[in-house]
Amino acid sequence: MTASLKLLTAGRRQTAALSLFLMIQTMGTVFFVGDVIGDLRSDPDSGHFIFEAIVTASLVLGILFGAHALRRTIELLRVQDQALQVARGALSDVIDRQFQSWGLTPAERDVGFLALKGLDVAEIAELRGAAQGTVRAQLTRIYSKAGVSGRAQFAAFFVEDLLGAAVPDAAVAAQ
Amino acid sequence: MATPRTISRASASGRASTSPPSLWDPVVRLTHWGIAAAVLLNALVTEKGSLTHVSLGWLAMALLVMRVVWGVLGPAEARFSAFLPNPAAAWRHLRQLLSGRVDHYPSHNPAGALMIYAFWASLAVVIATGLYATGGATPMQVAADNAAVASGDWSALIKESDGESSKEDSGLRDTILEVHEVAANLLLFLAALHIGGVFVESRVMRRNLLKAMTFGDRRK
Repeated sequence: MTASLKLLTAGRRQTAALSLFLMIQTMGTVFFVGDVIGDLRSDPDSGHFIFEAIVTASLVLGILFGAHALRRTIELLRVQDQALQVARGALSDVIDRQFQSWGLTPAERDVGFLALKGLDVAEIAELRGAAQGTVRAQLTRIYSKAGVSGRAQFAAFFVEDLLGAAVPDAAVAAQ
Repeated sequence: MATPRTISRASASGRASTSPPSLWDPVVRLTHWGIAAAVLLNALVTEKGSLTHVSLGWLAMALLVMRVVWGVLGPAEARFSAFLPNPAAAWRHLRQLLSGRVDHYPSHNPAGALMIYAFWASLAVVIATGLYATGGATPMQVAADNAAVASGDWSALIKESDGESSKEDSGLRDTILEVHEVAANLLLFLAALHIGGVFVESRVMRRNLLKAMTFGDRRK
């Protein structure tokens, strides 16, 4: 989760930098266009003016292409963000349903979620304002209701479904 | 080319369509605050007709151009098509504000949209009259003229008092400058109205609209 968040933050920074660049480009172009119009009024026939007009036209094109590219980057980031949220929502739905089918109490569900997020007993106790002994007892009840040996198996229960590939026969045989 | 378009349509019809973005894209935010700063500085701080004043005016013009380009090429909620001026809808929205229950829109709300167009129109008038008053001189030219005058070459001033410049001409110039002033004050008035609007909308919609125009939710 943190890795994907980092990726999105990086993407956000990238679009911000691109926007800033586009902005500076636009400023330069607007000043240049003003200059060309000034030249046009004072001396329309000079080669200098024609050259400047061509440069300005290419600058304008650059802005349009830049804006288009930036739009696509922003939309791509949004799609990624949404896919991530959908995946998150789907997983937490799955976990919720599984917790219900195990008959966990609301308190146990909370503790179970926090445990799946990777918090240790001390952290969970602090978050919930409970004693560490209470949390440890709740975790034990959760594991027994789920029929798993401990924390690793508890977490693996949900990850297993996400990992499509089956365990190779050789690995199973070796155990 | 086709892929992002279809995806953006899909995302527009999803969760995002029921409420304005929680964070506007960087171009919208940069142009918003850039124009706000340029207008405030020019109205309240810089000396009229000075090099800084003219430079900031050109800066505001560049930002306005950028925003207009973005209104055609930008993402869905930044495009003009997402917030076309609609006075009837704006009126309805204002009435809903009084009752405390408003519809949510994927982009600016209709009242806010009208405000934006009014602001852009006033800004365009300020820029156009400003350009007329300076004879369309770019900041570079203004700086060059200033330097020439400073070095004792007063010929740069000649074009402004070109011989027997007729009375109508100076009358027109005065009118233009008057319009410049009035439109600039209108901008300040609209800005104040805008701040009030943001405050009221934020309370009624229970959304922090300021956050969406600054840095969004830092924690996620």
